[in-house]
Amino acid sequence: MAAPSLLRGGLRRIFSGLLGSGWAAPPARALRQVVEVTEGNTTTIEGRIIEEAEAPPPPNPSGQCPICRWNLKHKYDYVDVLLLSQFIRSDGGMLPRRITGLCLEEHKKVAVCVQMAHRAGLLPNHRPPLPEGHIPKKPKLNRYLTRWPVRSAKPIWKRGPKWCKKPFPVGHPLLKDNVKYTQKPLCLNH
Amino acid sequence: QQWATFGRAWYLLDAKMQPPGKIAAATVIRLEGRHKPIYHALNDCGDHVVIINTRHIAFSGNKWEQKVYSSHTGYPGGFKQVTATQLHLKDPTAIVKLAVYRMLPKNLQRRTLMQRLHLFPEDVIPEDIEKNLLQEIPQPRVVPKRLDEYTPEEVAAFPKVWTP
Repeated sequence: MAAPSLLRGGLRRIFSGLLGSGWAAPPARALRQVVEVTEGNTTTIEGRIIEEAEAPPPPNPSGQCPICRWNLKHKYDYVDVLLLSQFIRSDGGMLPRRITGLCLEEHKKVAVCVQMAHRAGLLPNHRPPLPEGHIPKKPKLNRYLTRWPVRSAKPIWKRGPKWCKKPFPVGHPLLKDNVKYTQKPLCLNH
Repeated sequence: QQWATFGRAWYLLDAKMQPPGKIAAATVIRLEGRHKPIYHALNDCGDHVVIINTRHIAFSGNKWEQKVYSSHTGYPGGFKQVTATQLHLKDPTAIVKLAVYRMLPKNLQRRTLMQRLHLFPEDVIPEDIEKNLLQEIPQPRVVPKRLDEYTPEEVAAFPKVWTP
């Protein structure tokens, strides 16, 4: 789904003599594979459309965005990596909204979940390419449900007395409407 | 048979990818003896708890950077404040030890119960303790699966939510 070798968008084809007639226009949006064929002194670079199997119809086809169509509105979390990995590039960034077709609030929620999954280390293969590499690595500490980026969080030196303690933010307020499978209320500030 | 009910058991708890607060809550119950129907504060009915993999503890939120452990040496100018990351790098068992110490009831039995707690940063346990272990306490938090830990069949079985 998120491999850099697959081309999207227009077809690039260099004809050498042949012209096809009565040829239907290919679909505008599809995943294409770049194929380079060298015959003598002619190089043909072609974007061949990958034929994908027909997906089963979603449970709610009248929804506007994919998440509404599959009835997943408040049901996903940073743990559901199989769902989140469909919306990310190979280096970990999010795909734009006009491509995926998500509504604005769902796009933001998915972006937040993807960030939390990255910081929890659940997407190890979607890292940005580092040419030289930071060989003396900092010690990797396990974390989950992080709201702020790791380098931007400052230590809370004075938490305050019991009646007005400064809380630790956990999770994200955008995800507070998620379906709860336990009776306990969702705590966003520890 | 009465001696068997009053015997001290040894429990094992794996702290890998677990929050130290929940680990401490589970161990405090076992150390005090509240999991036994014969519990009373005066009869010494606590059990031993061995916690392994304390180096691989996971904090929720940004607590690694935000949580501060402070102490005072007693001398003037001796107020030390250390973040959780620095403390963990210096001593991997200190965070769990402090969490358990602060969760135990603040009475004279606290020190003896701390002596019954055994912490190990990695999987390696001394042989004599390993022979004593009776049961493993279930982990408080469900550890999520990473993307490469899913089998390709599961990845393919998951329906594609949108098409390019």
